[in-house]
Amino acid sequence: MTSNPVFEARGVEKIFPGVKALGGVSLSLLPGSIHALLGENGAGKSTLIKVITGVHRPTSGEILLDGNRVHFANTREALAAGIGVVHQERNLIPRFSVAENIHLEQLVGRPLRPIDYAELNRQARQWLDEIELDVDPTRPVSELSVAQTQLVEIAKALSLRSRVLLLDEPTASLTPSESQTLFSILRRLRDSGVSLVFVSHKLEEVLEICDRVTVLRDGRNACESQSMQGMNRQDLVRFMIGRNEQAGGWRKRDVTARPVSMALQDVATAAGHRNISFSVRQGEILGLYGLVGAGRTELAKAIMGRIRVTGGQVLIDGQAARINSVADAIHRYGLGYVSEDRKSDGLVLSHSVLANAGIVVWRKLAGRFGRLSDAAVRKAVLPFLEQLEVKTPSLAQVVANLSGGNQQKISVAKWLAAGVKILIIDEPSVGIDIKTKAYLHQLIRELADRGTAVVLITSDMPEMISLADRIAVLDNYLIQGEVENDGVYDRMSQAIMNLIHHEAGHAAVPA
Amino acid sequence: MPLSYDTSSAAALPAATSALRSGLPRSRIFISNEFGLILLIVIFALVFGTMTHGFTSHFNLFTLGRNTAVNIMIGLSMMTVIVTGGLNLAVGAIGVCAAMLCGYALQVLHLPWPIALLLALALGAALGAVNGFAVVRTGLHSFIITLATMSIFYGVMIFLTRAEAYRNIPFGFVHFGSMKVLGDVSPLLLLALAVALALAALYRGSVLGREMLATGARREAAELSGIRTGRIITLCHMLSGALATVAALMLVARNGAAIPSMAGQLGQDWLLPAFLAPVLGGAVLNGGKAPVFGTCLGAALVSMLTSGLLLMQLGAFWVQTFLGLLLLLAMFLDKARRSYLAYRNLA
Repeated sequence: MTSNPVFEARGVEKIFPGVKALGGVSLSLLPGSIHALLGENGAGKSTLIKVITGVHRPTSGEILLDGNRVHFANTREALAAGIGVVHQERNLIPRFSVAENIHLEQLVGRPLRPIDYAELNRQARQWLDEIELDVDPTRPVSELSVAQTQLVEIAKALSLRSRVLLLDEPTASLTPSESQTLFSILRRLRDSGVSLVFVSHKLEEVLEICDRVTVLRDGRNACESQSMQGMNRQDLVRFMIGRNEQAGGWRKRDVTARPVSMALQDVATAAGHRNISFSVRQGEILGLYGLVGAGRTELAKAIMGRIRVTGGQVLIDGQAARINSVADAIHRYGLGYVSEDRKSDGLVLSHSVLANAGIVVWRKLAGRFGRLSDAAVRKAVLPFLEQLEVKTPSLAQVVANLSGGNQQKISVAKWLAAGVKILIIDEPSVGIDIKTKAYLHQLIRELADRGTAVVLITSDMPEMISLADRIAVLDNYLIQGEVENDGVYDRMSQAIMNLIHHEAGHAAVPA
Repeated sequence: MPLSYDTSSAAALPAATSALRSGLPRSRIFISNEFGLILLIVIFALVFGTMTHGFTSHFNLFTLGRNTAVNIMIGLSMMTVIVTGGLNLAVGAIGVCAAMLCGYALQVLHLPWPIALLLALALGAALGAVNGFAVVRTGLHSFIITLATMSIFYGVMIFLTRAEAYRNIPFGFVHFGSMKVLGDVSPLLLLALAVALALAALYRGSVLGREMLATGARREAAELSGIRTGRIITLCHMLSGALATVAALMLVARNGAAIPSMAGQLGQDWLLPAFLAPVLGGAVLNGGKAPVFGTCLGAALVSMLTSGLLLMQLGAFWVQTFLGLLLLLAMFLDKARRSYLAYRNLA
């Protein structure tokens, strides 16, 4: 492969208000190659994809197509230049036919011209044949399987004569055999000269089909467009998490003498969980590890009373708890939940710092006739906002204008102010910078040291291994097993992945 | 005490000590809705005062104050539901239903008028509760629910009353509509301002009011913070029904009769002032903001424009056209103002 790169990004920077998402990232794509783009959550992968496809404009740096500098003002221009993308979330119109979806981009350009459906379907058939997908082009997309819609999206990208095709987590919702079909198609596209970018968390797949790799870490290149030859899984992991970040800060905390704070026994939920059993002691950090779609957030919301528990029971301090609403969970049982999606579930973005930090304690602070003064709320929350070093021009500042890290601190502070006994923390470090992340980790440990039972939900493996005392692995709405954490990254990550892939059954790994 | 409750300016910090306490929010008074409205009111007052005969007459100022009182109540009635991010198209229908019950209690049952008022308020709140309950239970937008209940409430009322008015209203009650205090001021205007003050206190300084605002701004976040949002939304609708009833009772006092058509067919005559007052006042249709003071100013502007344009001998339909244009203009200006603020905050 000595050909010239078809696409290059050089020193791309992207700065959002308060956050540097990309700090000088480079990438070069060769024709006829499958290029892996790897990185942890928040490393900048999706930002880079958005820069490449014209959604975001880079703050600085340049983008070259066939060696010429280009600027994409929008996604349409990127598409026209031959850069196609298949997003993680589906982007087809369910009620439209396969053929209409494939040609949507061409059709919208000519709103008044009558559509020649015979020709449309004939052309669609051609692209479907190209990827050996045997579906009728006149069928509505809503009738197709997940894997088939995925392939239709690829056909659509090809019909736009994409020379560069980005696939964001294409196998996330596919079965292994469907993934194999996809891979054989990707290999054939590669052989016909298309340059593919493959984004995935599944390193085995990356090792199987990719020939080159770029790894991002904290918005920078951990490696840039290297050949995959001779690389193994460990090499990739090392690039992704960095050598010295392995399980940083973990320390053994013995809590076996403390009483159990919360226990779930054979819990089933309306979201589809079955036989969920685990317990967490006072002062313990119980990790709940699972991939996206494993049912982690739904389980947290069920414990909080937002999703109905249909079977089994939840014990708080040894007593069966009757949680019929989130208000019950918070005010009667001292539960708290730091949401993974702070923009829609965690914070009221259009309200002030004070209103957000105080929302859980309003009821407690209210005087006669529900009277509530700002002074009382300020007195209750200010110590926690100061302890967490929230940076805001004033307590009256609208939360939407703060950085992600400060927003996250506020969504933690509100539960500290409420004095919860059990805190469920869902993906604490999504979209926040490394420094705040380390700070939050320290805070979570201190919180546990002071006796709070913490349930930590994260798909960030290093984060899990550096924080948790014990790790329960959730997959497909079931607890697949538990491991005692010893802080050794390699052993722990292997044990967790084994549980997810059911290879080791339900056996726990000795600490 | 400021009448407007806006969470972004609710919590100015005391003297700066820590990093958290430093930096007071920039004064935004000159780009606030309230300032713009006061400016418009002054300008139009000058225009009408000089261009028409009788705008500043005692009679006109008195009726203007009385109409303003009704429009303030109508506007606040809509505002309490806009706070939740919803709408209440049934404000007029609820108001008329409650007023007719009041008339029935007075004329047929011969109840003392304070009891009749309480019955009417209870019915208004109950009809609001029907709306709120339906919205929470079905998860449908309040637009659809209140569009349906508007017709249902009004239809049932017409059936029960046979579309006949109750004109036998005791003088003690009707007197409120015609008496003057402090010169040319109607007591109805003072009542409207007192209600506005109470509402401002609710949103500004009570748990319930703050829970209403939080629920309106982001329901899921409020729910996950332990607020029983279903209950809160129902309460907002009940409050709306009660306020609509106050507006209708003011009309009963003014007209000396409870008339089925006093808010137009299906109560639709109220819809334009109901939207105009809060929207001019700075309410966000997505919810989470309760500009009580702004809504009062908006209602005052609408009443003044109506009165002035009629005095200029423009047909009533032109007044409607003008108010419709004003609604569009208000939405447009508010959008421009907010994007300007967003730009300033990011810069």
